[in-house]
Amino acid sequence: MSKTLLEIKNLHASIGGKEILKGVNLTINEGEVHAIMGPNGAGKSTLSAVLTGNPAYEVTSGEVYLKEQNLLEMEPEVRARAGVFLSFQYPVEIPGVSMTNFMRAALNAKREYEGKEPISPKEFLTLMREKKKLLELPDKLNNRSVNEGFSGGEKKKNEIFQMAMLEPCLSILDETDSGLDIDALRIVAEGVNRLKTPQNASIVITHYQRLLDYIVPDFVHVLADGKIVRTGDKTLALELEEKGYEGLNL
Amino acid sequence: MVNDQIVNIKSGETFERVFLNEPSVNLRIIQEAGSHVKIHVLNMPSKQAEGSNLQTISNKIFITQTGENCSTEIYALAYLHNDESVTTETHVAHAVGGGTSNQLLKFILADHARGHFIGDLKIEQDAQKTEAHQTNRNLLLSEDAEMRTQPQLEIYADDVKATHGASTGQLDESALFYMQQRGIDKQKARQLLVNAFMKDVLNTISDETLREKLINSLDSDL
Repeated sequence: MSKTLLEIKNLHASIGGKEILKGVNLTINEGEVHAIMGPNGAGKSTLSAVLTGNPAYEVTSGEVYLKEQNLLEMEPEVRARAGVFLSFQYPVEIPGVSMTNFMRAALNAKREYEGKEPISPKEFLTLMREKKKLLELPDKLNNRSVNEGFSGGEKKKNEIFQMAMLEPCLSILDETDSGLDIDALRIVAEGVNRLKTPQNASIVITHYQRLLDYIVPDFVHVLADGKIVRTGDKTLALELEEKGYEGLNL
Repeated sequence: MVNDQIVNIKSGETFERVFLNEPSVNLRIIQEAGSHVKIHVLNMPSKQAEGSNLQTISNKIFITQTGENCSTEIYALAYLHNDESVTTETHVAHAVGGGTSNQLLKFILADHARGHFIGDLKIEQDAQKTEAHQTNRNLLLSEDAEMRTQPQLEIYADDVKATHGASTGQLDESALFYMQQRGIDKQKARQLLVNAFMKDVLNTISDETLREKLINSLDSDL
């Protein structure tokens, strides 16, 4: 029996007074990949924002537990250190902050949380090199400012690179496939697949079946109007692709 | 010293000075033809200095290009806390043509700090083919901090390139959240953004030893 990693119970959330999530229930066990699909405005990105503690959103009711810890009571940075990672739909450019400084600060924050010493400069550079290779990112990445001037594909690869560096227990990939050409998609998906372990889990938010050919989900959920309205296996994604959301008679 | 004096920069000479944490700078420079001037005024009092020591900083820089083909660069950086305040005035006059002036001034104001920038740029009628740029960027780190910006451009020549821009804003919330999402606490994320904002001024310092020292001291705070 695999252990429960994330438990979402009757989650309601709103932004600017408008209710977006209207009672989401979802349990994710270690080792599982869950895809969340759904039409625009269904609340897919809101779910990822709420799970990571984005201050723009307000949780109005419900509970979320990560390894039995109350996730909603944790600051965003503490959630991250506890192993929640979001691959942003729109990664933010941070001019003047180098990837090296950024990544070292992030990694050492996590290590401190785990009671470990800061990583040595040598180990850190070795780790950076190794993980860059996984995503086929260029060496010069270290000195570049975070996401600044990166192409759409590079930004998404950079997200998965950061995921590889931080080894989260729960990764949320928010439309990681959007804006990717087929080569970049393959690299990103292979990166995600290689990071999969029996102890971690992923939530893959996507509009399209295409990504799920590469990252094969154990479960597919359809989110519509703030609720999960259907759950199935990977064939549900194919059915969706074929019939559209309307064809599902939701 | 050069402070409080009139300095003549002779034809073809280069004059560079970094004023680091001087309580007041009062600089009057006359540039002769083909001379180069590069000034840095850096006000970064220690963050640890606590409340009571009200500090008022005044910087006045007057530069006149009296000969052709001069270049003038002015960089200013103020990072103030508590009740500290700074007034920085730059008065750049292009009396004759073919000269360039570049100004980049950044103010970062936390707590109750106040900043005031007066940027007076004059291009006389004879100063054709002048190229002058003035940029003022400010970051307010608290709701109680205050910035006043007063650019004054007087341009009497018609064949010149002159730009000026001023903006005052806050730290980018989406960048802060992005960093927090990677486990970096908010305080440290703010400091990384502030340091980034300061670095492009510090990067213009010619003296490599000083430049590295100042930039490294920013990173060592983290």
